[in-house]
Amino acid sequence: MVNWTHILRAQIFSIKCWYKNNRWMLISTFVWPYLMVGTLFGVGLTLGSIDEYARKVGVANPALYLLASSVVAMSSIYIMYSITGFILQNRWIGTLPYIFLSPVKAHTIMIFSGLPDAVLSPALTTTAILPAAIYFEGVTGAWRILIILLIIILGMLPLMGLSVIIASLLLILKEESNVMGSIIPFMLLVSGVYYPLEVLPRILQLISRAVPTTYVIEATKIVSTYLIPEARLLMTALYMIGLLTLGYNLMAASAIAKLDRIIKYRGAL
Amino acid sequence: MSIAIEADNLVKSYITRLKSGFLRRKKRVLEALKGVSFTVNYGEIFGLLGPNGAGKTTTIKILATLLLPDGGRARVAGYDVVNEAEKVRDSIGVTLTVEKGFFWKLTGRENLKYFGMLRGLSGSRLDERVDYLLEMLELKRLGASDRFYEEYSLGMKARLCLARALLTDPPILMLDEPTLGLDPPSAREIRNLLTSLADEGKAVLVTTHNMFEAELICDRIAIIDDGRIIATGRVEDLKRRVSNRIAVKIFVSNPNFGDLARLEGIVGKVGFGVDDTGRAYIRFTCEPGSEDRVIADIIKFLGETNIRVFRVDVEEPTLEDVFISLTGRTGES
Ligand SMILES: Nc1ncnc2c1ncn2[C@@H]1O[C@H](COP(=O)(O)OP(=O)(O)OP(=O)(O)O)[C@@H](O)[C@H]1O
Ligand SMILES: [Mg+2]
Repeated sequence: MVNWTHILRAQIFSIKCWYKNNRWMLISTFVWPYLMVGTLFGVGLTLGSIDEYARKVGVANPALYLLASSVVAMSSIYIMYSITGFILQNRWIGTLPYIFLSPVKAHTIMIFSGLPDAVLSPALTTTAILPAAIYFEGVTGAWRILIILLIIILGMLPLMGLSVIIASLLLILKEESNVMGSIIPFMLLVSGVYYPLEVLPRILQLISRAVPTTYVIEATKIVSTYLIPEARLLMTALYMIGLLTLGYNLMAASAIAKLDRIIKYRGAL
Repeated sequence: MSIAIEADNLVKSYITRLKSGFLRRKKRVLEALKGVSFTVNYGEIFGLLGPNGAGKTTTIKILATLLLPDGGRARVAGYDVVNEAEKVRDSIGVTLTVEKGFFWKLTGRENLKYFGMLRGLSGSRLDERVDYLLEMLELKRLGASDRFYEEYSLGMKARLCLARALLTDPPILMLDEPTLGLDPPSAREIRNLLTSLADEGKAVLVTTHNMFEAELICDRIAIIDDGRIIATGRVEDLKRRVSNRIAVKIFVSNPNFGDLARLEGIVGKVGFGVDDTGRAYIRFTCEPGSEDRVIADIIKFLGETNIRVFRVDVEEPTLEDVFISLTGRTGES
C-alpha cells in the first residue's frame, strides 16, 4: 500500500528535476541572504552604530547574528510557505486533483509534499551563508551555522499542523491569495528577530511566547554567542519548541480530519 | 460478468456564491446530480453521454473520490467511494480535463515518473512502465518524451494524460472527455486504444458529448441530462426504443426550395441541410419497408422539377435522433 514515504520521494524527485531544469533558481537561492542582510545593514547604519546595536541586542558579533537570524526567522516559517504554496501552485496548474488521487489521506499529501522544500530551502540558504560565517569566525562559525540549521528544522515542526490547516482553508474558501504574505511578517514582528522582545507592547510579548519562531531566535542567539553558562537556556528554548510541537499539532489533528472532508464536500479539487 | 462501478442514486449540490457587491455574496444552491444510477462491468466501455453542464464531470469526480456526494452510494472495485476511498483510488486510473494537469518545467517522462511515485511505483519497475507507456501512446514517435510539458501540443497533452491514468495498470479507468480537441486521426487512435483496454478486461467509463464517438466505441451508454440519467442501454437498443423509422438523405444540386417544399406532400416532414463539403441535401424518415417506393417517387418528382440527384443514403437513426426525441431539444448547433 502507498504511504508517506512514497509522497516524500516523489516530491524530492520533482524538486530535483525542477532545479535541474531551472539552474537560475539555484543561483538566486544562494544570493538572496546577502542581498537581504546588505539592505538591513544599510538601513541600520543610518540609524546608529554597530556597537550600539550589538549592545542592545546582546550578541557578540552583530554581523553574523543579523545574517543568521534573518535566515533563521524566514526559514523556520518557511514550512507554512511551502505547504500553502504547494496547494495554491498545484491548483493553478491543475495538478492538484491528480496528486490527491494518490491512495493516501489528503493531509498526508499536504504535509509530506511541503516538507522536502521546507527543509531544502534553509539547507541551501545555510550553505549560502557558510562562507560568510567562516570568514568571520573560522571553523567554529561553520559549526554554529550547522547547529542553527538543526534548530531551524526543529522550529518547523510546531508549524506543520497549522500549515495544513491554513492550506485546507485556502482550498475550501477558494482563495487564491497566499495569506502567508500577511501572517509571516506578523510572526517575524513578534518573534524578536530584529530587536529585543522587551521593546514590544505587553500584549505582543505574550503572543510571542506562543510563537515557535521566538524560541528558534532565542536558541540562535545563544548558539551564535556560544557562552557555556547559557547552555541551560538553550535547553529551555529547545524544550519550549518541543512543547509547542506537541500542543499545536495535537490541536491541529482533530481539525485536519474535518477539513479533509469539507474539502471533498465543497468540490475544491 | 462482474460489476466494476456501481452508482446508486447519487445526489450532489454545489453551493455557489454569486458576487453581488464588493464583499457581499449571494448564496445559491446548484443541483448538479439529481439521482444518478448506473453500473459498469469489467470488459466494457461505458459512455456517459450528455450536453455541457449535465453532470458528467461531477459524476466522475464522485466515483474517483475527489468529491463527496450529498446522497446515494457508489462502489468502485467493490469498495465504497466514501468510506474506503484510498482503496478505490488504488484501483482506478483517471483523466479529468486533458489540456492541463502536469508540471510545465518538467518533461513528459519526468512528469509520469513523479505521478508514478505518488502511486507507489519506484525503481526499475517505474522506469520500465513509464518507458512502455511513452512508447504505447506514441509520445516517443512524436519525439515528445523528453521535451518540457510546456512545449506540448494538445494531442501530446491528451496522450500524456492517458499514460498517467495507465501508470499502475488499473482494472478500472474513468476518463472525462479523453478525445476533446483532438484531430480525427488522434481521436481514432485513442478510441482504438480504449477498445483494446476493454478487450483486456478493464472497465472503461468515458464521458463525452460527442454522439458519434459514443456510438463508435461504447458497448453501453447512459444519457445524462440536467443531473438525471434519462436512458441507459446498448446503443442499438436505445435507437430501437425511440425510433422505428428509417432515415433517408438525398444529396441534390441546384435545389429550388419552392419546389422542394412540395416534397412534404409526398413524405411528410422534410429537413434541408448542407454537409461539410458544401453539398445540399434533403433528409426525411419513413416506415421501414416503404423506403424503396418513397425514394422512387421522390426521384421522379425531382427529375420533373429539374433538380439533379447525386447520391441517396439510407441511414439508421443516429444517437442524435435518440437524444432529440428524449430531451425534446434539437441537437442542432
Ligand atoms: N466546483 C463547482 N462549484 C460549483 N458548481 C459547479 C462546480 N463544478 C461543477 N459545477 C456545476 O455543476 C453542473 C454540472 O457540472 P459538470 O462539470 O459535472 O458538467 P459536465 O457534464 O461535465 O459538463 P461539460 O460537458 O461542460 O464538461 C454545472 O452546472 C456546473 O456549473
Ligand atoms: Mg465536464
